[in-house]
Amino acid sequence: MFITDIKKGFYDVVVNQRVALLVAADIDALCACKILQALFHCDQIQYTLVPVKGWQDLSTAFLEHKEQFRYFVLINCGANVDLLEMLQPDSDSIFFICDTHRPVDVINVYNDTQIKLLIKEDDDLGVPAYDDIFQDEENEEDSGNESDEGSEPSGKRRRFDEGAVERRIERQRAKREWEARRREILFDYEQYEYHGTSAAMMFFELAWVLTKDTKDMLCGFMIRSHKILCSRLSMKYVSDIATMQRHVSRHSHRNEDEENSLSIDCMRISFEYDLRLTLYQHWSLYESICNSCYTACGFQLWTLKGQKKLREFLADMGLPLKQVKQKFKSMDITIKENLRDVIEESSNKFGLKDVRIQTFAAHFGFQNRFLASDMVHAAAALLENTEREDNDTTDNFITALDSLSRSNLDRLTTGIGLAKKKLIAVQQTVASCLCTNLIMSQGPFLYCHLMEGTPDVKLFSKPLALTLLCKYLLKAFVAFTRNKRCKVLPLIMAAPKDVEKGTVIVVGIPPESETSDKKNFFGRAFEKAAESTSSRTLHDHFDTSIIELKTEDRSKFLDALITLLS
Amino acid sequence: MDPSEVEFLAEKEFVKIIPNFSLDKIYLIGGDLGPFNPGLPVDVPVWLALNLKQRQKCRILPPEWMDVEKLEEMRELERKEEAFTPAPSPYYMELTKLLLNHASDNIPKADEIRTLVKDIWDTRIAKLRLSADSFIRQQEAHAQLDNLTLMEINTIREFLLDSLNCMYKLRSNLQPGSSKGRFADY
Repeated sequence: MFITDIKKGFYDVVVNQRVALLVAADIDALCACKILQALFHCDQIQYTLVPVKGWQDLSTAFLEHKEQFRYFVLINCGANVDLLEMLQPDSDSIFFICDTHRPVDVINVYNDTQIKLLIKEDDDLGVPAYDDIFQDEENEEDSGNESDEGSEPSGKRRRFDEGAVERRIERQRAKREWEARRREILFDYEQYEYHGTSAAMMFFELAWVLTKDTKDMLCGFMIRSHKILCSRLSMKYVSDIATMQRHVSRHSHRNEDEENSLSIDCMRISFEYDLRLTLYQHWSLYESICNSCYTACGFQLWTLKGQKKLREFLADMGLPLKQVKQKFKSMDITIKENLRDVIEESSNKFGLKDVRIQTFAAHFGFQNRFLASDMVHAAAALLENTEREDNDTTDNFITALDSLSRSNLDRLTTGIGLAKKKLIAVQQTVASCLCTNLIMSQGPFLYCHLMEGTPDVKLFSKPLALTLLCKYLLKAFVAFTRNKRCKVLPLIMAAPKDVEKGTVIVVGIPPESETSDKKNFFGRAFEKAAESTSSRTLHDHFDTSIIELKTEDRSKFLDALITLLS
Repeated sequence: MDPSEVEFLAEKEFVKIIPNFSLDKIYLIGGDLGPFNPGLPVDVPVWLALNLKQRQKCRILPPEWMDVEKLEEMRELERKEEAFTPAPSPYYMELTKLLLNHASDNIPKADEIRTLVKDIWDTRIAKLRLSADSFIRQQEAHAQLDNLTLMEINTIREFLLDSLNCMYKLRSNLQPGSSKGRFADY
């Protein structure tokens, strides 16, 4: 059931209860969780926070907590399966699901008692109408009786007059037709996987309704939004961004009345143009240009020609190499002053038309200035920290959560450090993949397999990092390849997950294009292919387009996928 | 006494808040508080004000003395006068710290106030050190200091008593170690 009034339907219900928060490990969920936590702190609601990695985690977490809790809040997980079927909860457990994964499972949509969806109904979900997919109980009953009668001894059956038999056949045919139609509708509905409005946005709006929205929350919220901005841009999100910008200006307006009276320590958020260079304020400009997806793909930095072009670009801007290669913070102040304009002007000459993008930035104190995109990278790096020995999901989750708050700058700095390492690794892997032609066109899709023993391969055993690599690689490939047909193909990427168990992690992403809705059909395709070849796969991740696969089954799985999609 | 204990005492001071919720009078051991009505200023202890503020349930109005002009005047006076001038509030340092750390967005010109209060504090502490110095140098038996706040006394106490003890030891020519612990009970 969709909840229309999130305050009445959700917040007022849980306000004096103990709540279990089951949160998926991705950035949006992280931000949503942060906002919700702040709200819970304000109203002193007791909660238990459990980060979950996949469906198995979710089930165990539920089993552990179902005794103590009645209310479960699921953030970014659970909407796209039949939850009641999976968890088998008692009839008084109630689930609030705030999930960006689409399509929403129809059974979740039409369950009125236990499943409450914190999803805006106008989100163009395209949920099939109730009558199309569910038959009324009575009707079912009726046909049940009918078949009972049908199985009775034939002696009795003769007594039925011709009309009844005909009626029955008629009814059966109608039922068959209805079922075929139902399958079709459901197939259409569930075929593509995509993402809806972010969960953080939902909770921020809740906070707004409760008039408890603060800037710190807004910060978390816009971080999330930025990810949308860079990765999943489409018309729907543009309107979301506009909503957010209104929130931002509302907040900053509040302080402008008393002009310059606000303490420097307070956070200010602005919506402004900035460069499309990753982490450049915490790095050197040179390295940032080398490792940002946009510029690296634009210059094709993995080639000698690209490197040359980059030198020309820097020369064109009149920036000495010595300045460019040192930390941005210590760069000459005269250069920094109009750096943005200079870069924009030069990059226009070099064919990088939109190096300037609109983004959110948070300032506080004298030296802290963070761009939303940088925060995303830092938090993602912390979330999938592979450097620590114990490598515990919960710990990583908590660390990442902490890094989002202002008081934990050192955590954030660690995160930025990790993000830099990750970006360099991504950049190097992309370069090596392109230079050694690791990307193969398989007909309906492109395929790339990271070999065991490639440097940084451990880093890419995590879903977020691998997805980042995928997107980056596809962009770079599209910029690089001369084959026109290949430019519109989706990409499947496999990386070793666990050497001892002999598994690989497989990710599929939709083709790179400006216009498409970025709907991902690999989820279904993976399932089908695994079924038809009986490969040993594990569909544990909340995104259905990310699966685990036994290394030996890889080739037959791929063959099935090719036949399925071509 | 720990500075945190002094801060704890300061939290009993009253401050005006503007709540955004309504609640009847609450009856506590320390006295009755409220009733709370949205938009109507009400006096509450600092600890409650900060708690409500952290839960986004109120706006704190800065105390009267927490004003740039008044504080500037006080700073000038404090610098001119030889003796201590009356402090803006018996807990001015603690309150400034608490309010500015937790509710800096409710206090206009927070940065300037922080600097001013720190200036006043520095001046007063300098005076205190100076008088302690002359007190010991001249071997006075007693001294009178008016208008000191609890936090200030607390800051100087340890240092002054320790040095007095040392002086005493040196003067009475005792062997260090022979009478350990005799002077510890200050």
